Amino acid sequence: MITCDEFFVEFGDYLENRVSPEIRKELELHVSQCRVCHVLYDSSCKTVKIVTESGSFDLPKNVSDPIIDRVMARLRKDRS
Amino acid sequence: MSFLRVVQLDDKFGPFVAFREALGFVPNLLRAQTLLPRVIEAQAKLESAVRLRAGAISRIQKERILLSVAADRQDIYCVADGSRALSSLGMSDGQIDDLLNKDCHENRSAADLACLQFCLKLSRQAPSVRSEDIEGLRECGLDDESILEAVVLTALAVYRGTLSVGLGPEPDFAARKITSRRVDPPRGVGSQSFLPGSHDASQRKGPYVPAPYLSPKTFAPFSIVQKSHGFIPNFFRSQTLRPDLLEAELDAVDRVLLPEDVLTRAQKECILLAVSAANLNSYCVAMHCNLLRGLGMSAEEGDQIAVDYHLSSLSEADRALLDFAVKLGVRFSEFSSEDIVNLRRFGFTEEQILECEVVIALNNFANTLQMGLGIAPDFEPPLVLEQNKVHLPAPASRPIEGGFVTRSPTEVRDPDAGLVAQAQGGQLEAFEELVRRHSQLIYRSLVAILGDPVEAQDAMQDALLSAFQHIAGFQGRSKFSTWLVSIARNTAFQRLRGRKEVESLNEGDYEENRDFRPRQVKAWQDNPEQFYSKSEVRQLVERGILGLPAKYRAVVMLRDIEQLSTDEVSRQLGLSVPTVKIRLLRGRLMLREWLSPHFTTSVRRATS
Repeated sequence: MITCDEFFVEFGDYLENRVSPEIRKELELHVSQCRVCHVLYDSSCKTVKIVTESGSFDLPKNVSDPIIDRVMARLRKDRS
Repeated sequence: MSFLRVVQLDDKFGPFVAFREALGFVPNLLRAQTLLPRVIEAQAKLESAVRLRAGAISRIQKERILLSVAADRQDIYCVADGSRALSSLGMSDGQIDDLLNKDCHENRSAADLACLQFCLKLSRQAPSVRSEDIEGLRECGLDDESILEAVVLTALAVYRGTLSVGLGPEPDFAARKITSRRVDPPRGVGSQSFLPGSHDASQRKGPYVPAPYLSPKTFAPFSIVQKSHGFIPNFFRSQTLRPDLLEAELDAVDRVLLPEDVLTRAQKECILLAVSAANLNSYCVAMHCNLLRGLGMSAEEGDQIAVDYHLSSLSEADRALLDFAVKLGVRFSEFSSEDIVNLRRFGFTEEQILECEVVIALNNFANTLQMGLGIAPDFEPPLVLEQNKVHLPAPASRPIEGGFVTRSPTEVRDPDAGLVAQAQGGQLEAFEELVRRHSQLIYRSLVAILGDPVEAQDAMQDALLSAFQHIAGFQGRSKFSTWLVSIARNTAFQRLRGRKEVESLNEGDYEENRDFRPRQVKAWQDNPEQFYSKSEVRQLVERGILGLPAKYRAVVMLRDIEQLSTDEVSRQLGLSVPTVKIRLLRGRLMLREWLSPHFTTSVRRATS
């Protein structure tokens, strides 16, 4: 079985689902037998899910529209 | 004796001794490279691992393949060299002449013939190789190791052939007569799978041979690649079945591509990029575009070199170097010593010309190997090359003129193109539509760098005005959204400079090489976010992201919040993909540390 260090080298691509079938097999075996790496993998997957679904830094229309309106008004004024 | 100056090397020079022992002589092809002993060492190690050792394929079959590929390329030097090698292995002159000039296969097994045919197809028409060819080999009884060896051996034949044309060494032995001939498929093997020409991308399903996991801890060359490239390319991972071959290839990379004492790394990467593009190898194009990005070249400039370097901002001398490279690498039958004379006129030294030729040979080695093994890409190829992937029918419809792909880089397919043209024509409504479409992206790019949502809203107005001011200069060499992000980035950096708080996003700081291991290893609850309201989760995530150092924040914002692809993030931020991947992982792990106290199993919410 691969070591925790070896697991960590592949970890970024594993999270992104970008490893070959052969490497995936090794990583899955390691995760199934190493508690620390299992926790790391599980919580990292949850982190990515929470962050991507959080709707963070959404700029509401009622904030973005006035900014764009101001810019367009200025551009139209400059043109006229 | 050859096109370039030769110097005397000590008789005890390792590679010369090894060749004398293995073949009984030192080939003139090696003597023609004495100006740079390290490149001779690289070739000697490759030949020793791939050619001179018996492996899954016998020594005599290896020499037959090398000779057949050389004859197919009408390479007088390599034919003479290969004939001598076969003679030393016990083949008579008559048998060698038959091999060169007749379709004489009575005493050859179906496996040997299929293997030879496959190697010829790979050397002539690498882009047309597909999984069916490999299946054909398996049906004839070749195992995975034999297939891998056959591909690497063909790549070596192409390497030697490229150098033979470029260096013009005197044949070591009397030249033999070669007549043009084609090897027919063995009986019982589907002939259509061995014919070059028609092929379909959907049928190219690689990688073709299994690649067992090989640890950087036990295989030291991988550890070195990991450190120098930030990742281990699929190119190397796909050959783990044979660590001995891999080691020789990595040694060649180390001796030929990494030194900076003759040509610069950037010059060599440009050569690799231009020749790979002319070979229609989208895998290698994407790889070298990324490596150039890591060396500080913009994504657009890399794309331009791949598409048509004549229109790039490279110096006239470097463009001449690429003309030379593409001619030797792709249109080798037109190459002559005049091309070397011409390159000297641009001020290139003999050593630089030699190194250029070896880089071209190594490039053709890599292109052949990648296509022969169906190696999966590590990166997305430039958008402008998408229609010129390696699966295009060749050579009749190969869209090459003068050796280059002739699509204009301004033909990047961009859903904004119509509105951009109208906005450039002065239509304010079109500009307004564009900025409303991309307002989230602009805002998030500003937050990513400024780390302050309120200031980002303030800076948005400046960014939009700046975009309008410069839109006429937008040439479509990238997507419009990418260009908008670069405007937002510049706006944000101007503000940071005003605050004297510039945190560099550039590559290559020490931080990139430092290990980062998480500290929190407590298990998380299932669906932990359910114990918090949506707005609480959002606030937690926003506080976590704003607390990240700028270089991690920028990558996490664009990848996980804006949900761009890794390649798109790398283009937006002007970073190489490996750097983006490293920063993304570290950013995510830092966020994980930040969120852990809220989501571990020991935390009990009053609301739960």
